[in-house]
Amino acid sequence: MAWRIGVDSGGTFTDVCLFDEDSGKVEIWKVSSTPDDPSRGITTGVVEGLDQVGKTAKDLSFLGHGTTVATNALIELRGVKTGLIVSDGFRDLLEIGRQKRPNLYDMNADKPEQLVSRDLRREVPERMRYDGTVDVPLDEAALRAELRALAGQDIKSLAVCFLYGFLNTEHEELAKRVIAEELPEVFVSTSHDVAPEFREFERLSTTVVNAYLGPVMQRYIRRLKENLAEIGLEIAPQLTQSNGGVIGFDTAANLPVRTVLSGPSTGVVAAQAIGKMSGFDNIITFDVGGTSSDVALLQNGVCQLTGEADVHGYPIKAPMLDIHTVGAGGGSIANVDSGGLLKVGPRSAGAHPGPVCYGLGSTEPTVTDANIVLQTLNPVEILGGRMKVRRDLAVESVQRLADKLGLDVMETAQGIISVVTANMAKAIRVISVQRGHDPRDYALMAFGGAGPLHAARLARELDMGQVIVPLTPGTLCALGLLLTDLRADFAISRLLPLDDSALTSIDAGFADLMGQAAAWFDAEDIAGDRRVMTRTADMRYMGQNYELSVAVPAGPITSETFKALEEGFEAAHRQRFGFVAEGEQIQLVTLRLEAAGVVNKAQFKPQPDEGPDASAAQIGTRDVYMAEAADFLPCAVYARDKLRPGNVIQGPAIVEQMDTTTVILPDMTGSVDSYLNLILEVKA
Amino acid sequence: MTAPEKMAIDPITVEVIGSALQSIVEEMGEALVRASYSTNIKERRDCSTALFDHRGNTLCQAEHIPMHLGSFLGVIPAIRARFEMADIRPGDVFMANDAYAGGATHLPDIVLAEPIFVDGGLVAWAVNTAHHSDFADRGHEHIYQEGIRIPPVRLYREGVLNQDLQEMFLLNCQVPRERISDLRAQMSANRLCVQRLRDLCTKYGAAKVLAAGDALQDYAERKMRAAIEAIPDGTYSFEDQFDSNQWSGAMTFKVDVTVTGDEMLLAFDGPPQVRGGLNLIYTSLLAAAYFTVKSVLDPTVLPNAGLARPLTVTAPKGSILNCAHPAAVEGRIAASQRVTDLVYGALAKALPGKVMAAGNGCCTGAIFNGADEDGNMWVYLETIGGGGGARPGADGLSGIHVGLTNTSNLPVEALELEYPLTLLRYELVDDSAGLGEFRGGMGVRRVYRAEKACRFTVESSRVASQPWGLDGGLSARGTTLDFGDERTSFAGMVDLKPGQIVSITTPGGGGYGDPAKRPEAAIRRDIAEGRVSAELARATYGLDA
Repeated sequence: MAWRIGVDSGGTFTDVCLFDEDSGKVEIWKVSSTPDDPSRGITTGVVEGLDQVGKTAKDLSFLGHGTTVATNALIELRGVKTGLIVSDGFRDLLEIGRQKRPNLYDMNADKPEQLVSRDLRREVPERMRYDGTVDVPLDEAALRAELRALAGQDIKSLAVCFLYGFLNTEHEELAKRVIAEELPEVFVSTSHDVAPEFREFERLSTTVVNAYLGPVMQRYIRRLKENLAEIGLEIAPQLTQSNGGVIGFDTAANLPVRTVLSGPSTGVVAAQAIGKMSGFDNIITFDVGGTSSDVALLQNGVCQLTGEADVHGYPIKAPMLDIHTVGAGGGSIANVDSGGLLKVGPRSAGAHPGPVCYGLGSTEPTVTDANIVLQTLNPVEILGGRMKVRRDLAVESVQRLADKLGLDVMETAQGIISVVTANMAKAIRVISVQRGHDPRDYALMAFGGAGPLHAARLARELDMGQVIVPLTPGTLCALGLLLTDLRADFAISRLLPLDDSALTSIDAGFADLMGQAAAWFDAEDIAGDRRVMTRTADMRYMGQNYELSVAVPAGPITSETFKALEEGFEAAHRQRFGFVAEGEQIQLVTLRLEAAGVVNKAQFKPQPDEGPDASAAQIGTRDVYMAEAADFLPCAVYARDKLRPGNVIQGPAIVEQMDTTTVILPDMTGSVDSYLNLILEVKA
Repeated sequence: MTAPEKMAIDPITVEVIGSALQSIVEEMGEALVRASYSTNIKERRDCSTALFDHRGNTLCQAEHIPMHLGSFLGVIPAIRARFEMADIRPGDVFMANDAYAGGATHLPDIVLAEPIFVDGGLVAWAVNTAHHSDFADRGHEHIYQEGIRIPPVRLYREGVLNQDLQEMFLLNCQVPRERISDLRAQMSANRLCVQRLRDLCTKYGAAKVLAAGDALQDYAERKMRAAIEAIPDGTYSFEDQFDSNQWSGAMTFKVDVTVTGDEMLLAFDGPPQVRGGLNLIYTSLLAAAYFTVKSVLDPTVLPNAGLARPLTVTAPKGSILNCAHPAAVEGRIAASQRVTDLVYGALAKALPGKVMAAGNGCCTGAIFNGADEDGNMWVYLETIGGGGGARPGADGLSGIHVGLTNTSNLPVEALELEYPLTLLRYELVDDSAGLGEFRGGMGVRRVYRAEKACRFTVESSRVASQPWGLDGGLSARGTTLDFGDERTSFAGMVDLKPGQIVSITTPGGGGYGDPAKRPEAAIRRDIAEGRVSAELARATYGLDA
């Protein structure tokens, strides 16, 4: 009777995923996005999707929404006019940053645009010391004078970041109260609210980005709420965050910076759920779109959180899934550079005019064109017949590169795939070997429009034994919205040695975080039995400056807890760096608490085995160029939606579906599991 | 051993193996930064990692500090000069820092090199260098005053630590705890590299990896030659002034850059070497020349040995730009930065409209050292950015490092926790930039308060000269130092009393193009933002603000 719906709003399409709680049935719907007012596309998608199953908004028990509104506003610099209040002497910190130039060798590279112009950055006398004691009290009169000066500037938003604001919040809180009196209409972000962590520039940058985006997000959410109410939605909708969880609209409106990297996060959440259901604990996700690939590593079903990322040059401290992005996708352009080597990406053809094979005027071959030439992609039409392609144009464009390289056209097309695969492998090495994980212990889960197309070759490059292609690879983010919990992360920096002298402070620190979490649980109306809290501590050897995250055992903080933390830290340090520094003091840096409100999630039901014979799903045969044979090989072509559980496909073969194409190499088999995932393995 | 046979290799495999090699050196760099202790490495990332081929040529380098393009060059030859190849075994780790016997460029940059063997044959070297912030408060009359000199010596022999050597080294360091921890991080970075390269050789075969390495060097050479070929043949000359707060009197440096076909000769000239820590060992000069040429001609050329093949670099032996034993070299970055200015200036004549005006031209160093109650010494070193030169088409960047350095600042919240210092101001300096159609970047002011008595050393230049403008752009303001007493900007080393306030102001970047062409809106924005005062704008642009 009740349906759950996930709506993922992207640049081109808005994907809708519906789930019937009773039957376990999943339905997918796609509508065009409406970039001028994304909320229209969303409500259209919801209404049309529900129409397909004969339901209305009143039948919904859950609506989860993923959006790139904040991300796009940041990239396109469409935030609001923002002011900044900082400690005396530090107004230019925002511009100086970490003092490094953006590119070591390219002198034309620019720093990111300043989100607050220099005249709107105001200093006030105040200063804390490193231990949180007050060196100079906040000069309230000076603050009021600065605010009055800003009042005439028509700012819509104001960021406040004082040195050591994470340690002693007194001055920032006072400033917030004064601002509320002087500039009551203005959106305010304070650093201790947004990112209460050590290192002033990154905290400042995060606070400023949040202020810059705040009013944009508030406006978007207000409008979307109205539109959803108009179509009769009665429940409170949820929004995704960069940590992979969802959160109520009102909380999201105050912390838009936490959604900036939410785009790929729900895809990882879906991969996690699908892996768990199908019996894969250790997964590397591989999400390939038109311009980039996102990869993440799930150990024992869990993707680590990371605390900091760089978004278009702006450092952002916020809890986010550790997803690594590389500029390699279907639209990545191949060229031969002045030294005669074949390069692919990061430049991309984008959606318009797109790859050469679209016939819309491009002449530079892309990865998609190489796949058309090789015929791994359907050389006549793609997207389930929605789009005709011109293989002849793709061949011409690849031939031009072949002439420069002195290779033939097929070798060159295959070369484009090899080079882009190497770029993707490099991204996976960053999240695996560089973090002490061996990719051979992981299965590769491929999704996004082009993931399954490249997965087999990538797995081979990294010696990974299995590839999982989920049933709906093109809409996994929308599906992920149905599989995630409500989630908020709280953090507080406490630089203390890991010895008994710190017990009281650490206990108090976690108590503080639990108090914040309790308030959040109440605000989100999450029942007591659905509240789950997980604690971690970021630690390092005293003197180091990068921390490793270690799980804190349940129960009160005692000497035993610290013993467990010490062991956990040493194990993590050995895994990451290959050694333990005997006798060195370990230091606690940041305490973290993850609060999850467990929601009823979509539950899939396994389907009975229908035997290995896949012939009923075969829709044809086509010659596909395979590097192994250095020639075209006849490949059976299967329709994904006709494959049944238990079916086995012998490579070489191609599996087509509306949103993607899967390549099965000559020495591989593809088998369909009871959840309709396609599992590729090297033949025994 | 005999070198593996040269094998033919296709351009696609070269690119694929090249990506894997790049992954390896980047991973080394991350591991080194993250596991290290001293602020100079962990936060400021003053370190570099590289792979050298079995012949000792740079194969691949992570992007950290361009100066280290030179710190590496001499190391493998120096090892080979001391040790028979037959005596070099897996698990040996060589350590060196000496500019004359060790192949390095100054003593604080300590290099660790580990040979990588596959099937009994040497295929490559894992090499990294880290600037150990030690050897502070020293004399610089000659290199013997500057710290412990280490020729290539085996810190590890077949995986076993030479404890005696390590103890001897640590006793000569002021902050031994940081040194041992940083060495450990350097060790771990090289170990990763050895493992990863062996894995790569298992996958592709050592011969193919070596062939790809050769091809990558040939590739860099081709790109470099293609870029030089595009410059009209001829000799392009430039001269600039060099001064330092640690040396009285200015010097003139000159360069003649001669382009012939696809080759380039950079002939430098400067005064005789000085009894001060300002001299450049030849490899420092090379690093400066390679960096600048690459950055102007083609920033994408791989920083491997191939890029150097079309370049010839000369300077009179015994001059400050190519010093001889026993010249002191600790502060070689200052004159090296002027070398980059020289090359930019000369190339601006060869490639009008492609080169930016002079950047701040410094790597302003501030070094504080003292001792705690127990007599344990502490040393804190930082370098301060300034303005970048205005570019043809864009204003210069403010508050950045230019040229051969690109280290991060230390967060105030980390600095004050670790050292008895308080940072009172960290800001861009109004009116410091050179004006022009495009304005230079702004210099930086950093104001410190000493909380305890300590020794303070500043290393700066552009005190008497200024970063120049280009194509009609005006020069920027130079360095000023304020020690809170009667001393002038030419002082170098002072004792600070508790509560004493010192201030360093670094130069801006030069302007580009005729100021008369700057759009009024840009001028008014500069005034509104306080970057340029109304008075200076009136005087320069004639604009009535």
